[in-house]
Amino acid sequence: MTDGNRWTTSSGLPIDPYYVATDRPQAGYEAPPGSRPYVRGSYPQMYRTKPWRIFQLSGYGSPEEEGARIRFLLEHGETGFIMEHDRNTADHMYDVDHPEVEARREDVGLTGAVIQSIRDYEIVLRDIPIESTYGHPGGGVVQHGPFALACYWSVARRRRLDLARLPGTGQSDYFLTYLACVTKQQVPTRAGLRFNADIIEFCVEHLPRWVPVSIAGYNGAETGLNAYQELAAVLANAVEYLDEIQRRGRVSLVEAARGVGGVSFRVSMDLFEDAAKLRAARKLWHDLLAKRYGIDDAKAQQLRIHSLTAGSAMTYQQPLNNIVRGTIMALAGVLGGTQSMGVSGYDEALSIPSEHAHQTNLRIQQILQEETNLCGVADPLGGSHYVEALTRGLEERAWEFFEEIQNRGGFLECLDSGWLHAVAHENQVSEQSKIESGEKRIVGLNVYEDDVCPFQVDGFRSEAEEWERARDRLEDLRKTRDTAVAKQALKQLEVCCRGDENVMPAIMEAVDADVSLGEIGEVWRSVFGDWDTPIDL
Amino acid sequence: MTPKKILLAKTAIDGHWRGVSLVARALRDAGFEVVLSGMAKPEDIVWSAVDEDVDLVGLSVGGHIAVVHRLLDQLAEARSDLPVFVGGAIAPWGRRELEERGLRVFPPGSKLEDIVAAARDLTNAEQ
Repeated sequence: MTDGNRWTTSSGLPIDPYYVATDRPQAGYEAPPGSRPYVRGSYPQMYRTKPWRIFQLSGYGSPEEEGARIRFLLEHGETGFIMEHDRNTADHMYDVDHPEVEARREDVGLTGAVIQSIRDYEIVLRDIPIESTYGHPGGGVVQHGPFALACYWSVARRRRLDLARLPGTGQSDYFLTYLACVTKQQVPTRAGLRFNADIIEFCVEHLPRWVPVSIAGYNGAETGLNAYQELAAVLANAVEYLDEIQRRGRVSLVEAARGVGGVSFRVSMDLFEDAAKLRAARKLWHDLLAKRYGIDDAKAQQLRIHSLTAGSAMTYQQPLNNIVRGTIMALAGVLGGTQSMGVSGYDEALSIPSEHAHQTNLRIQQILQEETNLCGVADPLGGSHYVEALTRGLEERAWEFFEEIQNRGGFLECLDSGWLHAVAHENQVSEQSKIESGEKRIVGLNVYEDDVCPFQVDGFRSEAEEWERARDRLEDLRKTRDTAVAKQALKQLEVCCRGDENVMPAIMEAVDADVSLGEIGEVWRSVFGDWDTPIDL
Repeated sequence: MTPKKILLAKTAIDGHWRGVSLVARALRDAGFEVVLSGMAKPEDIVWSAVDEDVDLVGLSVGGHIAVVHRLLDQLAEARSDLPVFVGGAIAPWGRRELEERGLRVFPPGSKLEDIVAAARDLTNAEQ
């Protein structure tokens, strides 16, 4: 794209008409994949030994429907699953009979299943072998993370599985919670830090194969952060976690760093910049651990990346074109050496994905894995004068932006003050004005607007009855559980929250005693209070 | 001349703010007074529209279309003369339903200049 008369990448790095050997960084980038500083990949054989994981968001409606959609995807070749939750209830830690939820009862179940208790988790996970399937139990939003993980792990415990061997990932993402999609109510960022550090410590001690929390640069990028800002903010977020673990001194920092090094990035339409971003990310992570913490452990230094194609790049207009966009963005992830990937549906701008859109997302990834020979060679862009220069350029700018965040008091402070929101908003305004002026051309949207498509893509249509079904399940839970045991477990959880011991054992006891989502939310609200959202909306 | 007043409200408790903040900024730049009601409940949105005596309501839709229909009914009952327009990730089937009710719908990819033009038109604003 052009910025006035200059050609630039989408993050504004100036680009030349062609590149020569002297444009490349001179040293430190050529070590083979699997060797420090891991620019060229975290593992020597890359996709020859382990193709990237096909890892899609899925679910809506009832726990039964969510389980069915997950099994559909697994049967069609998905190699991990991500549980989606109803945002009204999960993100806010409200039961369905909370007045805020009841006021918009028809929305309930639209964005994911309503899951208010361990019983609902058992319904979703019925017939899914979680001991051998890489699972993501939800908990994208910080205050929901402990609940989601506790339910999933308690289901595993009920199945007598060895937690130490359980594969999967949490999320508890600050970008989603405090930047991209702020909630009506949320624990403050400092309380969230306690939760996330508790989860990290608990995983180090009990679930070494589990990724405790996953920093999702994706959500920052979708809010407007450009490529190097996304890289920098991910590092700044990781620093908050690792500094806290170090301050507490309860578990090994190296093992904690292994857990924190599972992150996500957005891959979008600037093919080479997005591929270069993943290459730069691995070096930045290596250098951060080595320089700031003196960590030399290879497993900690090898960043594991989940890539998500940009939902915002998917157009409402001429939606089938989005299959092409999904493919190009996925290609950027593969060329950048991602470990897992989710592709957004061609109907992304219209609704949650239809079953067909979901299947197409799998097919895009399967075609890339099976038909293109992409899995044969690691880091095929390595040595390209252009991509090496981009990798270096992004790395330099990311460090500058990282320093700026640190100088402004660190990542949490930049969320609390609204500074990161303001940076993202300015980028949104600039991008929107480029689209409206035609400087940034998007097919079907501001150029080539004619359409002769014979297929009607109408968006997913869900029923608006989920609220009643969820309320019935909740009432049944309250009636049939051992009230004394539930009350006692809830009390214990509150005592734990008011002290400083790890919250995970107490919350696992609580969900095992059939304490509901909203009851735990009440504890959060009474102990931790509410985050003062720095933006108007 | 007093600027025309627009209430922008989200119909869902969904805090994606990118769309609504861009629209708010464009409307303010065009001279409108914009009131944001955040993630207020439908009955509170109606109450704000009446209490603030706005000239236009813009609904940012992030949830089920059924909530929008219910809210439109309540708004019409409270102030039958009040124009409303809507935007957001609205599936084509939902867009048809809303257009059949006579509303202007701005799905993803809409131009801010078109939204501003619609606001001028709906409020008979000269700005």
